[in-house]
Amino acid sequence: MAEKYTIKVNGIERTVEAETDTLLIDVLREKLDLTGTKRGCDNSTCGSCVVILNGKAVKSCQKKIAQVDGGEVITVEGLSRGKELHPVQKALVEAGAIQCGFCTPGIATELAALFEENPDADEETIMRALNKHLCRCTGYEDIKNGALLAQKLMKDER
Amino acid sequence: MDFKYIGKSLPRPDAISKVTGKAVYLDDIRLPGLLHAAILRPKHAHAKILNIDTGEAERMPGVVKVVTGKGCDLHYGDNIADLTPMAVNKVRYAGEPVAAVIAETLMQANAAVEKIKVEYEELPFYLDAREAMKDDAVLIHEHSEEYWRLPTLKYIPNTNIANYYRLIKGKGEEGFAEAEVVVEGEFNYPFGSSAAIEPHGSIVWFKEDNSIECWSSSICPFIIRQDLAHNYDLPVSDVRVHIPEIGGCFGYKSDITVEQTIAWIASFVPGHPVKWAATRKEDFTSTLTAHGIRTYMKLGAKRNGKLVAIKAKILHSGGAYSDTAVNVTIGATHNSSGPYEYEHCYLEGYTVYTNTTPIGAYRGYGHQESQFATERLMDMLARKLNMDPFQLREMNYLGPGSVNALGECMWKTNGDVHAAAKAVQNAVFSTEKNKEDDKYYYGRGFAALMKSPKGAPFSTKGCYMKMNIDGSVSVNMGGAEVGQGLRTVVKQVAAEALQIPPEKIRVYSEIDTQFSPYEWQTIGSMFTIQGGRAIIRASDKLIAILKKTAAQVLKTDEDYLEYNGEYVYLRNDPSIKVAVKDICRGYITSDGITIGEVAQATADARLPRYSNPDSETGQGSMGVDYTFGAQGAEIRIEKATGKIIVDHFASSFDMGRVINPKQLRSNVLGGVLMAVGATLSEELRYDENGHQGNPHFFKYRIPTLKDIPAKSTTVFIENPGAVGPFGARGIGEHPVIGVAPSILNAIHDAIGVDYYEIPVTSEEIKKALVDRKENA
Repeated sequence: MAEKYTIKVNGIERTVEAETDTLLIDVLREKLDLTGTKRGCDNSTCGSCVVILNGKAVKSCQKKIAQVDGGEVITVEGLSRGKELHPVQKALVEAGAIQCGFCTPGIATELAALFEENPDADEETIMRALNKHLCRCTGYEDIKNGALLAQKLMKDER
Repeated sequence: MDFKYIGKSLPRPDAISKVTGKAVYLDDIRLPGLLHAAILRPKHAHAKILNIDTGEAERMPGVVKVVTGKGCDLHYGDNIADLTPMAVNKVRYAGEPVAAVIAETLMQANAAVEKIKVEYEELPFYLDAREAMKDDAVLIHEHSEEYWRLPTLKYIPNTNIANYYRLIKGKGEEGFAEAEVVVEGEFNYPFGSSAAIEPHGSIVWFKEDNSIECWSSSICPFIIRQDLAHNYDLPVSDVRVHIPEIGGCFGYKSDITVEQTIAWIASFVPGHPVKWAATRKEDFTSTLTAHGIRTYMKLGAKRNGKLVAIKAKILHSGGAYSDTAVNVTIGATHNSSGPYEYEHCYLEGYTVYTNTTPIGAYRGYGHQESQFATERLMDMLARKLNMDPFQLREMNYLGPGSVNALGECMWKTNGDVHAAAKAVQNAVFSTEKNKEDDKYYYGRGFAALMKSPKGAPFSTKGCYMKMNIDGSVSVNMGGAEVGQGLRTVVKQVAAEALQIPPEKIRVYSEIDTQFSPYEWQTIGSMFTIQGGRAIIRASDKLIAILKKTAAQVLKTDEDYLEYNGEYVYLRNDPSIKVAVKDICRGYITSDGITIGEVAQATADARLPRYSNPDSETGQGSMGVDYTFGAQGAEIRIEKATGKIIVDHFASSFDMGRVINPKQLRSNVLGGVLMAVGATLSEELRYDENGHQGNPHFFKYRIPTLKDIPAKSTTVFIENPGAVGPFGARGIGEHPVIGVAPSILNAIHDAIGVDYYEIPVTSEEIKKALVDRKENA
């Protein structure tokens, strides 16, 4: 049965009609055309679809729309302000952490949520967060460096 | 040579569109009237199709059409035309398309596809070349003699052998009579997947005006265009193929893979674009897989360590269709001699039909599979001769004046394997090895390597560049950016060739066969070499046009002029000059009459003198441009668990010329980690019913951040090559080649056990440690 759900997405309240078990990733991609959130697997192992839900990084393929009704979602499209990149985005670019770019949105949202909540996250915490994300291109060194730089840039901004 | 823009770590032109989530990949494309397809896969790995009942599926909500392969007489393939878009009468592997549903939404298509009922009559199936080659094996393709194939290919009638390739150098096998010491072994590089994070996908649209438009996550738009035109009897110009952003390739999005299937499905609903994007499972089971290469190898040497002969037999379980496997087999065969010279070679490669997902390109293209054997055997030969393995290799490396298996002579411009080997030796072996302690065994291993491009005679790459009114330049090419950083290379090479700052060069962002210059396909680590050469050629033409116009303006001869990106000026008096921006659209004289051509140029470049193999010897100019390198690993083996930890991995390549140091290192680290995955954990396994047993990331474990070596060393040597721009060579595939033998040689160094097969898992090591204890 299709129902109406209201979620705040990238600062704007959106009402969508969807089946109760529609996944958040499908609402974002198919109903709201926010295609920056990527699908890389069938069972929540790749991390490409991570978004920020109520301040926490979550896999949008693991949340049904009914579970997130009334919530606040930030996708990769919501990180930058016009041409001004989010510090995490700046850091990933600067560190050369982007190759094919398919895993990038998930990593950017993961790090933005992490450093927003815990600006002083230790290296182990950062590595644990990044370990949820599969990247086939980079060998992770630049992603790791990008994360450390992002943490520094976010602190500098405070 | 002093460079302004080459050798600098410029940022990627596409980084911001990717990091903001605005880059458009295949599944992000929305089109008017778009329909969605879901595909049915068979229950069996090899079976006759007796009947397909589509009635119930057709009545499901949202269903527009149900499609089967019935009546399909389309065959395609660029090497062997053994492929059909959908199974007709029989299925040959468990991932094959049997039927499809087109519906308004993907959910509706998925729901309906489950309602299709198929009756099968099972046939015996073979998951390995050794089984499929047995005398009493059932034929997987009953009429393979009817398939079109390249004239250089040879099949063996009434067998499952799709192709046999043989290379003979010197006395061939008889050369072993000159050998005083022989080592041999059987090595296996099992099935795997490129497993890009973006799964495959395509959109095909049969339009009312009788043209076809296609979008695909592919690196070969011009091959797709040509093959679709051929199958649907259209002029090639009436097929338009777009390539959006590609979320990784690593090989398996080359050649033609899923596009013909989606075209067949879409051909039933003309007027509507039809989209299909693979699930992760389908990406494993139903696109192209990798490896499946078993190598039997024998090396013969003199007692002093001088190699004299090599024999190799490559058995390639090529999958149910061999069009894309056959060149991998051939590459694995003639490159199995590695970076060494042998007077006598006898190398055979069998591409064998098996009831498994077809094998296609995977980063490395046969090199890592067969040089895995070469580099393990070199260590074993050193032990047998009681020689230092570095010294043994040193004595035998290819270098200026020596001749490789293909019969190609090496020159200084092919690079220096000795220098690469020394760099790795210094990085990994110059300190004292860690001593065994309570928790760990320690080991170090080495491998040298050789990579050739594995091209094709017509493998050209085109470039079109135009200079704009302000002197900025737009560069358009057909090379596919898959993440490797090709756009950065284009920018830097064009900047250097045109002497224009990179900020004033805009590199193309997508490929569209309607506008893009022709390119064969972006494979074989050849883009930098050939594409870069094409950029230089186009730049030279463009500069010549500027000089021709300037000669009229400055009233002198063209060859008396110099160009510096901003001005064209007299060689002896730079003050007599004309600005490039005043002549790039032609020069407007004081009375308004305009003279000279617009500054725009096209050019292309292929591998010079690339040839087919000789039909008798299998030799020929099939490499043309070579890259040499070396790799080394320092590992630890945890005694309690058998876990292998790669503490340090070092790679060195003679790159000819480094274009972008940062990008180069990132590429190498990515390649190394991919091959660490293949060495220690990745393997596509088939179950007793012929289905893939682990087509998911939680079962087919690719490396994560916690698997990276604690330390990575990269050393790049620059002996300029003769073909690439400013002497540069390719790097895309090379970093995967020496990883498995380095690590397995290190395992032997640590615990004295020889492995011949990958992946080597902690369970296997643990078992070996227990066995060793019991035997002791």
